[in-house]
This record gives sequence, structure tokens and C-alpha cells, in this order.
Amino acid sequence: MSSQLPLPTAELAGRILAKCSYADRLPAGRFTARVGIMRGTVRGLPELHLYLAPDERSLPAVNFDRLADWIERVVADAELANATRAAARAADSYVSTCIATHALVERRLEQARAVLGLPAPGAHDAPGARS
Amino acid sequence: MALYGYAGKILRLDLTNRKAMVLDTERYKSWGGGHGLGAALFWEFCKDKTIKDGRHPANVCCVAASAVCGTGVPSATGRTEVVGVGVGYDGINWFTRSGFGGRFSTMLKYAGWDAIVIEGKADKPVWIDIRNESVVIRDASGLWGKDTWATQLDIWKLIGIETGTHTGWVALDDLKDAPKRESGDAGRTTQKPAIVAIGPAGEKSGHGALIHDAGNGAGQGGFGSVWGSKNLKAISVIGTGSVKVANPMALIQARQALKTKYITSYEAPDFRQWSRVGGLAKPLTQAPIPTEDRRPQACQGCVNGCRSRSNLGYGNESACQETFWYNEFAQKVAKSPNEMGELSLKVADLCQKYGINTFVLQPGLPWLEHLHEAGLLGPGKKIPSSLPWEKLGTLEFAEKFVRALATGTDIGRDLADGFVPGARKWGREVDLRTGALQFSYWGCAEHGYDPRAELEWGYGSIMGDRDTNTHCFNFMFTTVSAALAYALPIRVDAKELVEIQARKLVPYAKDRPEVFDFSDRNMYSEAVAQLVRWQQHYCRFWKNSALFCDLKWPDLINTNTPNLEGATGSDDAGEHVFWNAVTGDKLSLADGIRLGRRIWNLDNAIWTLQGRHRDIVQFAPYIYDTKYEKNELFPFYMWPCRDEKGNWAYTDLMGRSIDRKGFEAWKTTFYRLEGWDTKTGWPTERTLAELDLGFVVDALKSAGRLGKERAA
Repeated sequence: MSSQLPLPTAELAGRILAKCSYADRLPAGRFTARVGIMRGTVRGLPELHLYLAPDERSLPAVNFDRLADWIERVVADAELANATRAAARAADSYVSTCIATHALVERRLEQARAVLGLPAPGAHDAPGARS
Repeated sequence: MALYGYAGKILRLDLTNRKAMVLDTERYKSWGGGHGLGAALFWEFCKDKTIKDGRHPANVCCVAASAVCGTGVPSATGRTEVVGVGVGYDGINWFTRSGFGGRFSTMLKYAGWDAIVIEGKADKPVWIDIRNESVVIRDASGLWGKDTWATQLDIWKLIGIETGTHTGWVALDDLKDAPKRESGDAGRTTQKPAIVAIGPAGEKSGHGALIHDAGNGAGQGGFGSVWGSKNLKAISVIGTGSVKVANPMALIQARQALKTKYITSYEAPDFRQWSRVGGLAKPLTQAPIPTEDRRPQACQGCVNGCRSRSNLGYGNESACQETFWYNEFAQKVAKSPNEMGELSLKVADLCQKYGINTFVLQPGLPWLEHLHEAGLLGPGKKIPSSLPWEKLGTLEFAEKFVRALATGTDIGRDLADGFVPGARKWGREVDLRTGALQFSYWGCAEHGYDPRAELEWGYGSIMGDRDTNTHCFNFMFTTVSAALAYALPIRVDAKELVEIQARKLVPYAKDRPEVFDFSDRNMYSEAVAQLVRWQQHYCRFWKNSALFCDLKWPDLINTNTPNLEGATGSDDAGEHVFWNAVTGDKLSLADGIRLGRRIWNLDNAIWTLQGRHRDIVQFAPYIYDTKYEKNELFPFYMWPCRDEKGNWAYTDLMGRSIDRKGFEAWKTTFYRLEGWDTKTGWPTERTLAELDLGFVVDALKSAGRLGKERAA
């Protein structure tokens, strides 16, 4: 699905890689056994990508409807917002939605970097991998 | 007659006069150990029980082991309980508790001591050097100002212990400053002294924790600051003795039963089992650890191993919340999970070294960020701060932030007595009404189990002295919610779950599954009050006094067993089976819970003398005034509930608040069940007599705070 997203314009690519203002932050906590639901925020798609990375210790705690609206309103990326909505509809579980959205965001960040000619960040290594 | 399980002596330290005295444990044995023992010692030796700040010189801090420490009782033998009047809350800092794992209590007992009573205040910094029966109060001027790790390493060197990981036999007579002996020898050991120390946070702020080894900490209660106020830098103990067990065969049999019947097979593990005691060793490090070369690390005698050691050189032995609180900010600057993990674990190390209570930082730092972003806090702002807020998320920011809080500098000056007192100084009470500052009860940080959804957590905390931090029941929320999130089958349906668990709830709620019904219509009920009573009394004895670990006990339901019944209260591996094997007692699970009620009532007598009245037993305003917004974060907060027809189902509990009138009615019910004065919440003479606590009546009477009997 992510491969179907049209390439962003340079202007949109800049917004995709940008950090938003505190006022525009997205509530996004974590669910962790023995700690509970802890509050937090996300302030950009690069951070969202890290936040959604699969992690055996905890789960992202985010409202995906609100996430799609936030992508539309704050990042102004209607294609990605619609893709995340579609991914959420297609997923058979909350965790599947997290994984699918993570993949979508990852692909969108790659597209944005490609459009702007920026290198990929150091490593999108999985938790537990040797650094 | 042998005092099985106990070392036999209690060390009483008078820091003011630099005296060490010996008390006979036998006199206090009925309290079990840990919290009960500490509360009884506090009652006896604290001459002013009206004090409201743990830094008052009259405060008495007790550090206590239990009968099972240093034996082979699984997930129970390595914990230490700390009690006394605390620091860092709001208004009255209650007589409170904290605890830490590791090997301190075991070594204390091997040295011949069951507990330490710390009284008075030294005129200059001291540390305590315990080597079996030898107790020396030593000058700590060279240690003052050092971090907790440097302090421990320095003490090892001062004693003459080789640092590093190599070990071998050490003769106590060969150590530096060993007492001269006329005959015999002082014994030998392969172990290093166990040390609990404070860092700069304990010396200079109200956020001080006690740290032992690399990552065992007693954070809540601010006992590091209590020690700092007494000029007590550290206690070191090395012992060469052992603990006499009444029935070693019964102890081994119970261990075997636990392993074979209740714990999932290590050969074919059920990773999705529902149980508390039944899982395999699993580190609770809550940040990505950037290496696979790691292994679990456990408290002495524990079968779990909730911490981790690796070859990284950072983050070793830190677990749970201290590895988690900075994640949210680290993720804003990190480029990968590994980088985020490295940041969070290095920040955990910082906190361990400064000896700071990280619990307050979890909701505390987001609130400070909120103030900064609102233009209220920062350089030249209404709340001046020269911290590099633009670098929030970096190691540099964390280092400066933690140092400011630990040393009472920058914003740490105004927050030194706690975050809520700090908010009042800054005129930010509004944040307690809106929930921008999530400190839910007694000025204590919200844990992550919102009281508006998870009633037993909230009610237990507000009827007690701090965030209760007792995970007796809330695995239901995490397990069921996680299963739903992954779309996994629900292993046990709600009706069966509550019925199985209710079988264990002796003596108050046996076979009363309705106590688990947290639905809107049942949230202020007598049933929920009974559940909270069971939890608080169970914990006061079995967890806080006998020192069974909160991560593993109680085990009420267990999918590793054919009938799904957990180990708690069982005839083969129940808490009481282990206790009796060690002590030779004949306790039942219910006997322990009754003892817990006695201890809980002694606590309430102390709180009453400190100034508690039912009118001030209130949550932070946002718990009443705002709803726990549905699907704001996680999509559901599942808990067993009954519908209008009485059918059980796992139900989402988000979207509600606590109703003031409902909660007041619930308090009345709780007080009535406890036998307390329903108008004041104070203990009554009849209840105290019933619990063999008649000795506290005079003090309450003299203070004009003895409760009255009220008609139902």
C-alpha cells in the first residue's frame, strides 16, 4: 500500500521531515505492563516512526483516528492520512494497525528524503540489535 | 528455643549520641518483619509522632528484613523494607514505606541483625560499618557529596575489599580496622559487603532515594532525603552467618511444587500464560537495550531476574520506571531505537548515581515542558530556569535537569519539597485541576493506572500514604488489554476469572466475585471496599512485612495449572507454606491478612496523630473534575464488570471521573468495615483492642484523636 503513495512535493517533503510546534503535538503514550498507560506526545513523523517501532516491552498508546487527523491537519499530508485510515480499517488488531502505520510512515519518510536528496538516518535498527 | 528465620537481634542506632544498641527480636516477632516490625519500632522510639516532614530530627527510620530473607523462599528473600515519616509529598508527609531488592537484607541477617532503627541526627556526616556483631559509626566527610556508586566503591576500599568482579574467600579479621579479638575468628565469606547509600539528591533535596548496588532503589517516600537530614551517608554490612530454617525439607518441597506446578516449563514455555508467579525470568528494562549480550540479574534467592546486565557498560541492573521515564523525550532526538535505548539507560544510570527518586519525573518533566512551552518557565521567565530546554531529550539536558533537582539548584530550589508544593509556590494549582500536573494523591505522582478507571489502585493509594504500587490485581487490566490489542484469544473469560480469584480472598471476600466489578454502578460499593481492604491488608503483611515480591505475588489465577488456581494460599506452594517452613509458625493465608490488618491499623494510628482526618482524604481535583478521556491514548482499559443483567464481561473503563459524593459514601463504607470512626477516619478504642493495639489508645486519647463509635 505504501508504494502506492505518490511522491510528495518538495514542500510537503519538508513538512514530512519537520518537527511541529508544541501546540500541535499529538498525544501518544505507551502501554507497559507493570507501569501502566503513560502519557506522552509526538511532534513529527520522524519521531512517530521511532515511536511506532515494534518493541517487545511495550505498545504505543495512540488513537489512530486522531493520528490520521493530525497527519492531515499538522503535516498536511492527505495521502498519508488516508493511507493510515485505510490501514487501520484493514488491520485485524490494534497491534497490526501499529505495524502497518509504522511501515507507511517509514516509506513516507524515505520518499521525503529521496525528494530532498537527503541521506537515510544512521540505522533503522530493531530493538535488541547490536549497535 | 531457636528463633527460626530470624537473626535474633535488632540494631538501634542513636546518631545524635553516636551509640549503637541491641534489641531482642523475640519481643517484636509477632509483627513478622519488614513493615510491621518497622512500624512497631517507629511507634516505640519516635517520640513525636505529629511530625509532618521526614527531615525532622525526631523522625525514626527503620530498615527491616523479614524471617524469609536470606532463605530459599522464591521471590521473597532479597527485599528490604524501609519505613518512617517521608519527604516529597504535599502538606503532611505521612508515615510511609518504601522497599528495595538486592542482597542487603540477606547480608544484614547473615551479620546477625533483623532490622536497623535509625534515630537522631549526627553532628557531621557518618556511615555505618557493620561486620557481624561489630557496629562502628564512621566519619563520612570524605564520602559526602559523592554519588551512590562512588560511595559504595569507596567504602569497599575503606574496608579493604577488592573491587571488581573477581571474588574469593575474605576473612573478616583481615579487613581494615578489624576489631581486635582475643580468640577465634570473625568468620569468612565470598561476598562483598552490601551497601545502601544516598547520593547528592539525598543530601540536598527532598527527592532522595536509597540506592544499593547498581540499581536497587527505594525511591518513593524520599528516604534518601531522610538519611541526608540525619547526616547518614551509607550503611555497609557484611556477615558470615546463616539463617536457621525450621523445616528445610518443607521449604525445598514447596519450592519444587512452585516450579513444577505453577511456573511454566522452561523447556516448552507458555509465553502467554496468565499468572504472576508463573513466568520465566524476564528483565523489566523498559528501554530498548542495544545489545543481545545480556543476562537476567536477580535479587538474592529470586527465581525471576527482573533486571539485566550486559556488556554495554551502562544501564546495568536498572529496571522498570527509571529506564522508562525519559523515553518520551529521548525519542524526540534519537534517530533509532538503539539510540533511544542508550539515552534512556544512561539517564537511568545518572539517576541511580544522584540517588534521585525517578517516580516523580514521569509526570513531572512533561509538566515542566508544558510550563516552558507556555512561556512561563525558562530564562528570564516568570519561573526562571537556565536549563537548556531547547535540548530536551538529550543526555546533556537530562544531566543538567537531574543535577538541578538533586542539588536544589535552578528549578530544583522550588521543587525541593516536592512537585506539588513547587506548583503551589509557582501559583500553578490550576494544573492540579486540569490534570496538566498528574499527581493524583497526597502529592504523589500518578503511576499509569488512572484511579478513575482502576479503582483498587486509586482507593488503596488514597486510603494509605502514597502511590500504593501493589500489582495484586492490575495484571487483569494489562493481560486482557494486551490480548485484545494483539487480537489473541482471551485465556480465561471474565466470569471464570473473577470466580477463581475470589476463592482466594479470605477472610473478607471469599467467593464474592462482585468485588472485582468496577462498573459505574458498583464503583462505590461495599464489595469494592472489601477488595481494597483485602489488598491493603494482604500487602501490609505478605508483601511489606514478610517481603514477598510485588512482581510475583499474590498468584491468584494461573493458567499453568489444570484448575487455573494460583499458588496463593495453596497447600503446596502458598505464601504461608513458605513462611511456616522457615519459621515453624502455623500461619494460614488469612492469618497473615489479619496480621496485615493489625499493621495497617497501627499505620492509621500514626497517620491520625500526624493530622489525618477524613476531610483531607481527597484525590487531586482533576480526578473528580475531568474525565479519563476515552481513547485519548490506548483504545481501552479492560476490567471485568457485570452488566445490568449480572453478566460478566471485560469492559472498557475509560471515559469517567470519580464522583465526589460517591467517593464520600465509599469512604464511609470503608471506615465502617475497618472499624474506624466514620466521621473522622480515626481508629476507635474497640477496634484497637480487637487488634491487640491497645497500647496506642493513650497516645490517641491524649492527642484528642481517638475515634468515636458511630451508629451504623
